[in-house]
Amino acid sequence: MSKVIGKSVTRVEDKRLLTGQGKYIDDLGTPPNTAHVAILRSPYPHAKIVSIDYSEALKIPGVKGVVTGKEVQPLVNPFSVGVSAPVQYYPIAMDKVRYVGEPVAVVVAKNRYIAEDALEKIKVKYETLEPVVDIERALEEGAPVLHENVGSNIANHRTFHYGDVDKAFQQADRIIKHRFHFPKYSATPVETYGVIAQYEESTDSYTVHANFHGPFVLHSIMASALKVPSNRLRIIIPKDIGGSYGIKAGIFPYIVLCSVVSRLAGCPVKWIEDRQEHLAASSSCTDRVTYIEAAVKNDGKVLGLKMKMIDNVGAYIRAPEPACLYRNHANTTGAYDIPNLMIDAYAVMTNKVPTGLIRGYGGQETYFPLERIMHMIADELEMDPADVIRRNLIKKEQFPYKTASGGVYDSGDYEKAFDLLLKIGKYEEFRKKQAEARKKGKLLGVGLAVIVEPSGSNMGYITIALTPEERKAGLPKSGCTEAATISIDPMGNVNVRISTTPTGQGHETVASQIVSEILGIPHDKINVVAELDTATSAWSIASGSYSSRFASLGSSAVYYAAQKVKRKIIKIAAHFLQIDEDDLTMKNGQIISKTDPSKSISIKRVAGSAHWNPLSLPKGMEPGIYETAYYTAQAEPPDDNDLINSSITYGFVADLVTVEIDPETGEIHILDYYTVHDAGKLLNPLIANGQILGGLVHGLGGAMYEELVYDDKGQFLTGSFMDYLCPTATEIPRVTIQHIETPSPITPLGAKGLGEGNSMSAPVVIANAVNDALKPYGVTIDSLPVTPNKIWNLIHRSIKQEELA
Amino acid sequence: MNGSGKVALNAGIEKAWEVLLNPQALKNCIMGCTKLETVGENKYEAVLSIGIAAVKGKYESTIEIADIQKPNHYKLIVKGEGGPGSVEATGVVDLISIDENTTELQYTYDAEVGGKVAMVGQRMLNGVAKLIIQDFFKKFNKELAKSEQSV
Repeated sequence: MSKVIGKSVTRVEDKRLLTGQGKYIDDLGTPPNTAHVAILRSPYPHAKIVSIDYSEALKIPGVKGVVTGKEVQPLVNPFSVGVSAPVQYYPIAMDKVRYVGEPVAVVVAKNRYIAEDALEKIKVKYETLEPVVDIERALEEGAPVLHENVGSNIANHRTFHYGDVDKAFQQADRIIKHRFHFPKYSATPVETYGVIAQYEESTDSYTVHANFHGPFVLHSIMASALKVPSNRLRIIIPKDIGGSYGIKAGIFPYIVLCSVVSRLAGCPVKWIEDRQEHLAASSSCTDRVTYIEAAVKNDGKVLGLKMKMIDNVGAYIRAPEPACLYRNHANTTGAYDIPNLMIDAYAVMTNKVPTGLIRGYGGQETYFPLERIMHMIADELEMDPADVIRRNLIKKEQFPYKTASGGVYDSGDYEKAFDLLLKIGKYEEFRKKQAEARKKGKLLGVGLAVIVEPSGSNMGYITIALTPEERKAGLPKSGCTEAATISIDPMGNVNVRISTTPTGQGHETVASQIVSEILGIPHDKINVVAELDTATSAWSIASGSYSSRFASLGSSAVYYAAQKVKRKIIKIAAHFLQIDEDDLTMKNGQIISKTDPSKSISIKRVAGSAHWNPLSLPKGMEPGIYETAYYTAQAEPPDDNDLINSSITYGFVADLVTVEIDPETGEIHILDYYTVHDAGKLLNPLIANGQILGGLVHGLGGAMYEELVYDDKGQFLTGSFMDYLCPTATEIPRVTIQHIETPSPITPLGAKGLGEGNSMSAPVVIANAVNDALKPYGVTIDSLPVTPNKIWNLIHRSIKQEELA
Repeated sequence: MNGSGKVALNAGIEKAWEVLLNPQALKNCIMGCTKLETVGENKYEAVLSIGIAAVKGKYESTIEIADIQKPNHYKLIVKGEGGPGSVEATGVVDLISIDENTTELQYTYDAEVGGKVAMVGQRMLNGVAKLIIQDFFKKFNKELAKSEQSV
């Protein structure tokens, strides 16, 4: 078989998806007697529940029962959390509500219509409490406290000193600092959450179908919450998930809630979340305030950074938070050689929906202040931002590069990628055009951003939330394990089972390419099964679809499983043909002698023998062909100095965006978006570009449109797509994607993850371009999204000040 | 959300005051009010069916009248809850006698909504509030005319 890995093979998933034959959660059949649930949610951001009276709801024909916190409490433990603060998080409100949309009661009924109608009959008496929504207000003395037993709103606080920050700041010619605010937004998958849960009393076990995509470390947390041994909670993931971008990891409280409701109601239950519920009460990114200070030499060299980051994790810190705060810990200094770093990290709780995984996970929050301050340094030093970036970029010969906070960047050529960007983006030419346009009163701007895109998370990074002493009290946590199973049936056909729970990224296609190339079988003859079943699949804590881990880890597990199968087949073939194993190769469904191609045997014959005539196999060999590989890369737990390599592979993204702003309306028009990627060896460029584009549009949303808005009283104001604006096809600008490939020395195929990079870079590169366009007005973009309203106000405030002066 | 306004009533101040505090007249004037019952001194319970944007539903509310300075001034405290969410509002009403048959009513209000109605309806709230108030006074002047006839 010729090369298949790295080819733009079309997706095997598309035919079924485009012809309506996808199998999403709502396409699965339900067991007989399944009831449907609807959830009553809190209209208040912060209140005590005085009483709940559901007697009227029970009278409605078709209602099978109503469940509140009181009924749930004896059957569950609060979810365990990754911090030492004793936050009690349950899947339904117990005595207090802490955000608008928090579940308060669940109606179980014959159908969803009846369940929804019955919600209105439930009378809840609340005693309202003062809410807190602002990040810094939550830290103040006298602010309302959400969790009385915690004593403050701080869920986690850690300070890190790497290198010699004091010295760096003493040696600096100047210190440039600013405060930035990154907004809370979501990722709005087309398919919302869905759960079908069934409790079986005879075995005291729960079986759940849900569009959950990991990380499967949460399986243990759910089993503990349900008070059952983990093999008594079977979770089955459908073949197709309609997008997630991390958000669906936040379904786990609803899996537990529906499980308990099934137990209490005595029947299987089904719940499909509606869009309003999804926007109000699923999950989101954190909003973050960052105070960043850079110690800078007059030539633009950055000697050190201080960053105080305050992440708002919403009403309850829930697993895996405060991961957002630490996901990018190893790459906090981005693409720059900055050896001195101080991080003061806070996770605070406020009366907003709890947060969790989201495409980019902490990257956009981290790079917004970092890449803005690089442009501000250029402004202050009257240098070109491209020169400031180049002055600080890590050089090719420095790889593998060890970052201040413990990251090991495996490979890269940042200067080459950056130079390519400036060339294809015609940077110099645009600067001239901009100068001409300014003379005519036109506002043109260009922004740059360079970021390191981490992929494949090291499960140990989350424990950086604990002090070295606290970590010592528990078992060390590390690794990034993924598994895959490949079998060949008696007719010689191949099944591949993966545990990467794809949510639309085309894992089936890429897995088939890898197996095809190794076993010499056409990729379209290979059947890839993506359903994960915790009772029958090979999986581990890290399994799932997040942190762009397929290209670095999932594909590696498939690769090693295929190699195991290949070794066995070659061994059998060598035995049958009486040829040395080293002389054999697999091609076109045959095992062939390299030196004498007339000697060959088909895979069908070899695999068939393993099933039909096992005694013919080499002595001592097991019958059948069924191989599982578990793969992890070198990923150590944090050390005593809090150094942590939080990811396995590190890609690179360089963006250049040009904009024109209409000063009359504040509207931003993106003229061009150029993005250069280095994700190591590409496994499938077609899929890679699709993923990059998707991530970019998500970043565009964060930059210009999307925000989960709460008023100062904690009321949630963006509960529909009329109020929560997502970019649609017409908002997507012209995008030019280019790649360079510096293979990762870590992964067997040299691949790194991708698809999240522009979610991280787009918000800041657009902010940089907008800021550049508005330079004549002397304004600073330090919050997002950059809506026309915000831009118009900045322009006019500046004009007013000028008039006053 | 808050607002204020004034409106001319076609009645003398005493008459206007009387009708303003008449539960039956109020029930007729408040858009979507299907029930208004006196439950105590200056306390009422009401059921309101209102649709705001896509959020239609019933609110069960308590209405309290406070700070009464007959016939010039009172304060209205409304608390409502229902399927679509919650509403808490206070209104201050001042009556100024213009002549025997004309009274000027000045009002200010301050309202907070919560739950679903805030999530998907907040863009519409100011408009809806104005609509309800305008409708109220249109009907109220009719009620005044009716009560004049009945005298």
